[in-house]
Amino acid sequence: MDRLTVLCFAGTYGLALIAELARFWVRGAARWYTTIGLTLLAWLVQTAYLVNLGLDRHTIPVTTAFESGMVLSWMVGLIGLYLMAHSTRHTAVGLFVLPLVIGLATVAAWWAPRESDWQHWGGVTAFWGTVHGIFLMAGAVFSCIAFAAGLMYLAQSHRLKTKKPPRIGLALPSLEQSERVNRGAITLAFPLLTFGLVIGVILGVLTHRQHGGPIMVTTAPLSWTDPKVVSMIITWGVFAVLLHARFRPAMRGRSMMMLSIIAFAFLVFTWVGVTALKLPTTHNVRRVMSAPATDAESSPVPEGAVTP
Amino acid sequence: MSVSLLALGVDHRSAPASVREALAFDGDKLGAGLDALSSAFPGNEFVILSTCNRVEVYAAGPADTIPEPDSLGEFLAKFHGQPHEAIFGHLVHYLDEGVVGHLFRVSASLESLVLGEGQILGQVRDAYRMAVERGTVRQLGHALFQQAIRVGKLVREQTGMDQGKLSVASVAVDVAREVFDTFSDKTVLVIGAGKMGDLTLRHLESLNPGRILITNRNVEKAEIAAQRWGGQAVPFENLHQHLIAADLIISTTAAAEPVVSYDNFLRVQRARRNRLALILDIAIPRDFDPRIGDLDQVMLYNVDDLRAQAEQNRLQRQKGIDPALVIIEKETAACHAFLRHQQDVGAVLRQLDSQVEASRRRELDALFAARPNLSEADREAIERMSLRLQNQFLHRPRAAVRSVAADPVGGPNQPQTPSREQPQAHPLLNAVRHLFGLGDYASPQVSRKVP
Repeated sequence: MDRLTVLCFAGTYGLALIAELARFWVRGAARWYTTIGLTLLAWLVQTAYLVNLGLDRHTIPVTTAFESGMVLSWMVGLIGLYLMAHSTRHTAVGLFVLPLVIGLATVAAWWAPRESDWQHWGGVTAFWGTVHGIFLMAGAVFSCIAFAAGLMYLAQSHRLKTKKPPRIGLALPSLEQSERVNRGAITLAFPLLTFGLVIGVILGVLTHRQHGGPIMVTTAPLSWTDPKVVSMIITWGVFAVLLHARFRPAMRGRSMMMLSIIAFAFLVFTWVGVTALKLPTTHNVRRVMSAPATDAESSPVPEGAVTP
Repeated sequence: MSVSLLALGVDHRSAPASVREALAFDGDKLGAGLDALSSAFPGNEFVILSTCNRVEVYAAGPADTIPEPDSLGEFLAKFHGQPHEAIFGHLVHYLDEGVVGHLFRVSASLESLVLGEGQILGQVRDAYRMAVERGTVRQLGHALFQQAIRVGKLVREQTGMDQGKLSVASVAVDVAREVFDTFSDKTVLVIGAGKMGDLTLRHLESLNPGRILITNRNVEKAEIAAQRWGGQAVPFENLHQHLIAADLIISTTAAAEPVVSYDNFLRVQRARRNRLALILDIAIPRDFDPRIGDLDQVMLYNVDDLRAQAEQNRLQRQKGIDPALVIIEKETAACHAFLRHQQDVGAVLRQLDSQVEASRRRELDALFAARPNLSEADREAIERMSLRLQNQFLHRPRAAVRSVAADPVGGPNQPQTPSREQPQAHPLLNAVRHLFGLGDYASPQVSRKVP
């Protein structure tokens, strides 16, 4: 049922993408209005879905990878809608943004875990867990923007280098504009991801062992060699290099755009890839046991299991 | 009474520039020309389209008052003080549906010297606006020109014929826009003070660059060019420094060897902190080593690249001709049917009024003849009463006929595509004609195009 709902707005985004792709054959204003209208409709449906999700769980929907993915696609959708509406009709922003929105929503719906240990903590831990999610999600939004701007830069740069005239109805933002958006997005993404990561590490250490009434619930200890931790550190490292590249003239242009794309790929891998590939990670794995008990006696239970 | 359309004039195909200049309605002549046309041929509507490449008079009016092409030609010769024989061999005219099709092709820029150019649509709009201001257009002129402006936009939108520039200089401006977002913070460096540099700068002026530097081995030439373009003449010996400061470089020297080598520019680019650079090397032989174009943040276009792009744009526009003609043919048929329909509605209303008025007058005359003792006041009262009755009886038929004007395809049971072979009147108009004995529908004349 949940996936069916996601399919509703993802499908509407899909129709908007088809209308956007029709720019190669249909040049009338009606096509542009159809694209904008369908994108807006999809975004409104997605908004209603997220509001419902938040009301249902009595929290901002950023506590699980699934919710974060949905909010991420929703925010990228909003930014994309703004860019599409403010660009000329010939500028093909939607061609880059809409697949990203659809991809994020689809990946979140099908592969992202829908449970998180943060949900089961109360008080300060739950608060910081939400802050951790919000920072990472905001960082991810700007990484998506940097990724889309990078793609547009590379496409435009390739066309200019090969001296091909622009296809009718398929104008791209200028190199300078794409570069500026990319640079701005990276500058914002890095501190957000850093804060999110730091809060996550601190939470991981502090909540390693907590007691709750007769039941003791504990997260499994996060190791530095955990695939999720490793990929997140690599992602952070790539973003650090990207930020550094801002001040390294030699790395401007294509190199920076390629790095943005790599950084985005790592981010997606960290977010859902580790789980989708079933790599042995202890991030977000809950263990439930009877008290009093020791860590040695704890036994893992499947995600979403109902605690007695 | 049928209404006709006529267009007569000269264009870049039919007349040399000297004839077009002689017949041009520039400045105050345009308004005076419209006034003179209205005085010379009363009861007709006129619009004058006068551009560099064409001078055309569009006329619409009842068939019995619209000027003959020869009369309109005579008027043009007389108005401009030109001998008859100097212009008559160059005049071209179109009639009825031919006028509609021609005006649509003009506004879609298919008749322009540069296919797909954007100016003509604005010029058609201005010509129409001027005629509206002078009060020389009414129902037919409004319908015809509003449709022409709409079709002009439609063709551009559907075929993309206005996309891509056709000259080397304007392609260069397009490339600059694809590289840079803003120009107010950019420095343009022109190396060489030749004609090509001038031409490119003329186009680049529209981008409002922040600073223009002009350098040349001959300092005087550089200073003259700098004065012309509001730039700054800088010494050629410091070219390296100027290259570092520049974002957009236009090179047009006549040097036999490259002015900037790969190694030199590599150093320049390092000093520029690898900022985006666009080099338009329009010199022959080339001033910049072609390998410079391989650098990451440098876009290097030589004159052949720009020419090739202009040629591709031209081919792209030519591809749009056939789809544009299909659109125009369809729109012409629809517009002509609409105009014909408007004429039918007007004719039926006029006939209806005159026939009923004649009956009323006949009956009043008979009554007053039979009752010669009626006082003047009684006669006036009876006349007013008969007029009120006539208006009350005709109110609904008139409203029904007017409502037909908004339904040009002949009612809901008629085919939606207007037939060009056998135009049919709306069933309601036929019914009104039949009920009030107004006579049969007169089939319109087949349009003619006289070269």
